[in-house]
Amino acid sequence: MSALRIRGLEVRYGSHRVLGGVDLELGEGEFLGLVGPSGCGKSTLLRCVAGLVQPEAGHVEVFGNPVRGPSPEVGILFQDDALLPWRTARENVALPLRFRGASPREAQEQADRWLRRVGLEGFGDHYPSELSGGMRKRVALAQVLAVRPRLLLMDEPFASVDAIVRHVLEVDFCRLVAEAGTAVLLVTHDLEEAISLCDRVAVMSAGPAARIVAVYQIPFGRPRNPVTVRAENEFGPLVRAVWETLQVEVARMGWELSA
Amino acid sequence: MSRVLGLTLFLGGWELASRARWLDPFLFPPPSGVGWVIYELVRSGQVWPHFRVTVTEALAGLVLGTGTGAALGLVCAGFRPLAEVVEPAMALLNAIPRVILAPLFVIWLGIGMASKVALSFLLVMVVMFFATYTGIREVDGRLVERVRTLGGGRREVVREVYVPSVTAWVASGLKVAVGFAFTGAVVGEFVASSQGLGYLLSFAQSTYNASLTLALIALVVGVILLLFWGFGSLERWWLRWKPEYRSRRACPKALPRTVRPAEQVP
Repeated sequence: MSALRIRGLEVRYGSHRVLGGVDLELGEGEFLGLVGPSGCGKSTLLRCVAGLVQPEAGHVEVFGNPVRGPSPEVGILFQDDALLPWRTARENVALPLRFRGASPREAQEQADRWLRRVGLEGFGDHYPSELSGGMRKRVALAQVLAVRPRLLLMDEPFASVDAIVRHVLEVDFCRLVAEAGTAVLLVTHDLEEAISLCDRVAVMSAGPAARIVAVYQIPFGRPRNPVTVRAENEFGPLVRAVWETLQVEVARMGWELSA
Repeated sequence: MSRVLGLTLFLGGWELASRARWLDPFLFPPPSGVGWVIYELVRSGQVWPHFRVTVTEALAGLVLGTGTGAALGLVCAGFRPLAEVVEPAMALLNAIPRVILAPLFVIWLGIGMASKVALSFLLVMVVMFFATYTGIREVDGRLVERVRTLGGGRREVVREVYVPSVTAWVASGLKVAVGFAFTGAVVGEFVASSQGLGYLLSFAQSTYNASLTLALIALVVGVILLLFWGFGSLERWWLRWKPEYRSRRACPKALPRTVRPAEQVP
């Protein structure tokens, strides 16, 4: 069974047609990267899968079930690590467990275990404002993984941290998600990030009425180190190939290049 | 520390200037003299009935105003058509100096405590209405979405997002409201009354008793500062998650050590 199946998905915001017939499929445990020009509708696609946006036409299935709203099988990590500022790191991670009926004690123990796994042992009592950007990302990751989603949607998850922290996060993220066997749909602006993390990379066309124009198979196996994989011989040509497709779409947006 | 020093210098200078007759001690009695008047007022027990009346009026206005303002803000935030009527009215009330309504309340409610409670209530209610109303409208949509995608329903969204963000606004509104509650009570008494600190003030003024006037002002300020401190501590505890209220806990800047070093990952 595929983790995610999207057929002929169309989304409209008022008179603006954002998505014009997107087809996409994601296998169990697979990492799929989605790249495309800014504003093309990548995030909208993600929000459709998350059940936060109602599509105009087409359908979205997660593990064979049509999406009707936020589902416990789907975890979401957005660019802004929207942790509750009035909850400590531990309470934030425990939150989704509590929503699913875990006792406070059980939720706390599991939250502590997850904080340890993301490398934040001893930071359970800190409020988000007391943590660095990278640490907040880790809390958000622990929060979303704690309930063991089978599909993880990520929208520019590592965008707002510096390059070094970002690489460390990518490495840890790959390890944790691979251990859990979660399928991942990763939206990003960064080609190299998509290629270094994913099994396949899909390129989306410029909007309006965006579609998937090409899907690239990434030949590196997993587990892999997403930082050192960039030094492999095949990496450069892959970046060029994906960029050539993407470039055409970016050029279609016009203003993007002149900006 | 510099504040204590500044206050000491100010009071010391005043004392000196008044005793050396650089300032007319009839108009500017020395702080020690004012302190003596306060001591006498308290020792003789003369001030207590008035003190009790004013504090009762202010607290009644504070409690009723907070309750009503918060409830109204809550309902308006949830029900648009009502907000369109109430909000402009509140904005108008907010713009005018509300104490000009004091004479009206005396006519309507008499010179007893009721007219003072009403004025105090009105002053507080407007502040708390805006605190609650804005608090609800400023709720971060991303947090609502976050809680929903983590599996929270309507009740969880209210409990985890709405309640904490609104209480943050209400807590800061309360501090302003305390001052307003006393303004309402004292000004109301000043306009027309037979008891209360405002009544004593008005008496002191009509007899040109500067020492008594200053003593009463000091008493009112003292009570407000005490309440301010109380509400301030409550706020600091309640909003301890905010960076500006953070206890002096070191902010960890360093990256946490990862469980497994990166090199070991294939």
